[in-house]
Amino acid sequence: MHKVWAIIRREFVERVRTKWFWVSAILGPVLFGGIIVFQIVQSLGGAVRNVAVVDSSSVGFGERVVDALNASNSFRATLAPAGPHVIDSLKDRVETKQLNGFLIVTNDLVETGRAEYQASNLGMQTIEALQRTLGRLVVKVRLEQKGVNPEVVDWAQIRITLEQKKIAHGKTVSENATQSFLTAYFMAILLFMAILLYGVNVMSSVLEEKTTRIIEVLVSSVRPFQLMLGKIFGAGAVSFFQFFIWAVSARVLLSLRGPIARALGANPGDVQTMSLPHIPASTMAVFIAFFLGGFLLYSAMFAAVGAMSSNEQEARQAQQPVTILLMISYLSILGLTNDPGSVFARTLSLVPFTTPIATPVRWTAGSMPTWELALSLVILAVAIVGVTWIAARIYRVGILMTGKRPTMKELVRWVRTA
Amino acid sequence: MSDPVVVDRVSKRFAGHTAVDALSLTVSSGIIYGLLGPNGAGKTTTLRMIMDIYEPDEGSVRLLGTIAGGRTHSARIGYLPEERGLYPKMRVLDVLVFLAEAKGVSRRTARVRALEWLDRLGLGDWRLRKVSDLSKGMQQKVQFISTVLHDPELVILDEPFSGLDPVNSQVLRDTIVDYRRRGKTVLFSTHIMEHAEQLCDRLCIIARGKKLIDGTLAEVKRTHGGQHVIVAFDGSQGAAQQVFSDRRLVAKIQDFGQQAELELAPAADAQEILRGLVNSGARLSRFELASPSLHKIFVDLVGPEAATAAAVPGTESERMAARA
Repeated sequence: MHKVWAIIRREFVERVRTKWFWVSAILGPVLFGGIIVFQIVQSLGGAVRNVAVVDSSSVGFGERVVDALNASNSFRATLAPAGPHVIDSLKDRVETKQLNGFLIVTNDLVETGRAEYQASNLGMQTIEALQRTLGRLVVKVRLEQKGVNPEVVDWAQIRITLEQKKIAHGKTVSENATQSFLTAYFMAILLFMAILLYGVNVMSSVLEEKTTRIIEVLVSSVRPFQLMLGKIFGAGAVSFFQFFIWAVSARVLLSLRGPIARALGANPGDVQTMSLPHIPASTMAVFIAFFLGGFLLYSAMFAAVGAMSSNEQEARQAQQPVTILLMISYLSILGLTNDPGSVFARTLSLVPFTTPIATPVRWTAGSMPTWELALSLVILAVAIVGVTWIAARIYRVGILMTGKRPTMKELVRWVRTA
Repeated sequence: MSDPVVVDRVSKRFAGHTAVDALSLTVSSGIIYGLLGPNGAGKTTTLRMIMDIYEPDEGSVRLLGTIAGGRTHSARIGYLPEERGLYPKMRVLDVLVFLAEAKGVSRRTARVRALEWLDRLGLGDWRLRKVSDLSKGMQQKVQFISTVLHDPELVILDEPFSGLDPVNSQVLRDTIVDYRRRGKTVLFSTHIMEHAEQLCDRLCIIARGKKLIDGTLAEVKRTHGGQHVIVAFDGSQGAAQQVFSDRRLVAKIQDFGQQAELELAPAADAQEILRGLVNSGARLSRFELASPSLHKIFVDLVGPEAATAAAVPGTESERMAARA
């Protein structure tokens, strides 16, 4: 046990000492800070849009559109009387950033509901706001044409606020659909990256001991299985440490977003709404459990790959089957998050090689019965034992072998005879 | 105290090729034992079986009185493998501490001893440098320190002198001798006979996995008897070759150019050869009656075999895979 501990510590210390560890440790928070700043800047610039309204209608409808837009707080609208070159001059103003865009209103707006908007940037929020504002206005005008009192129309138009709540595992949590989709998506990406990166780390560490020939000294004092375990846990500890750094810095940055917003001239109150989705402890536990399981499963395979190769190029080739197994889950992320209850998703969460990513995604999306969670955990555990057993045998023979890469037949023989 | 290493009729086969064939040897306590043989003779395979890195197909190895194997005894054994290696990116001191820890030495003790050894071998200033900053000779020394850092009672060295310059070679020889003086046991393999002749109390010559001879140096020389003469020239050799080719006087000759080792024919007189050489006009710098050198014995024993042993059928992976 003392020996395994020494191996874990060496693996951890040497890896944390590399500059790559610190580059990625710093890059994470920088990226996250960038996202926060980006969002704040977006909320600043996105708040009010300068829009010109070209009135080509015969009834002076443009003025009412301008009033309605200005009333919505999202737009600063000005009227541009229709003329022969008005469109060209407006285009120039858009080009020189004096205007965000311009709206062309004709009689069609009231008759068939058609209008035209030209802008340098067709953001979804802007379009929706335009459609909403124009829609209300047109309804009002059409009702007036039928003789309805405008005040009644105003009274009748009411905005619906739909409070979205998700039912997850029999409990209502205040979280909307977009948030839970994003959480699941983000988790899946994180799992994929972490398992791949740190699995490959295990592989290159095994390979290093092989190519530097230090392996023979090591196996003369440590059992190969102890060595493999030490490597896997050492690399695993490094990735946890990395996550920890990221999580802490993300937390700090989030709590600082008020001051950041003030510094950028935004209203901190607006910024408070863009919080991280609430992640319940159970989801966190599932995430950690499956990250651990997936990491153990894949790094055992990566260790075997490292042991059977004699140089980097060979390892890159030999790791492909393992990477492809992992890619299957990665490529299925969209399918999983969109419909976590589908047969496809259920199948993926019961296959040991895809379950480390599929199950946390389904769980987060809230459509997984607890017994299925338990089942996929059991399947994962059994797979870890089996795969580690096979990997350890390949490892034991492979680490002392140099020369050409073993064929499939030879690998089977190693596993049988080791 | 029982013998530290007892190898009993071990065999090791790799697909279609017998690397070690029913080899037995016994290393008794407190001696320097040399395992000699040409390339591909099975020296490394034998040492690996002793260290429990390979399992023998047949036969058994007893280490330090038990059959538990090298890994169990790793705290009492120092092993320097043929293929040297250290972590190039680690600091010298860290590597030494780690390798000692892997053998079960506590961290603190390992640190203290590593610093002692680094100072002793003149590497004290390098302790915080990366291994890759060191010259090859320095790395060899670090590797040697890692072999003996845990103060083992048995040291097994596979080709310890390969790649060392004369100065470092001498440092290593001194250390090995010092080790024996302190009552430790050293087993080492080599194909350089001079080292074996200088160091070994006992030796064993193997070729193609089989033992050809073993015993003390004196015993080996005695069994491989005959009277020998070493001749060295100082420039001109004159007609010396005529004397050498006289089969009434010289049975066998190892001609090194400026020096030759002659095995006298039965009943030949060395004085007669000396007379012949002087008369031939050769200028001699040395004429010495000697017991046969180990080199001579080695070449006589394995000469014909060494040329053919190098061709080994099958790839390495096939051989590896075939091991049970």
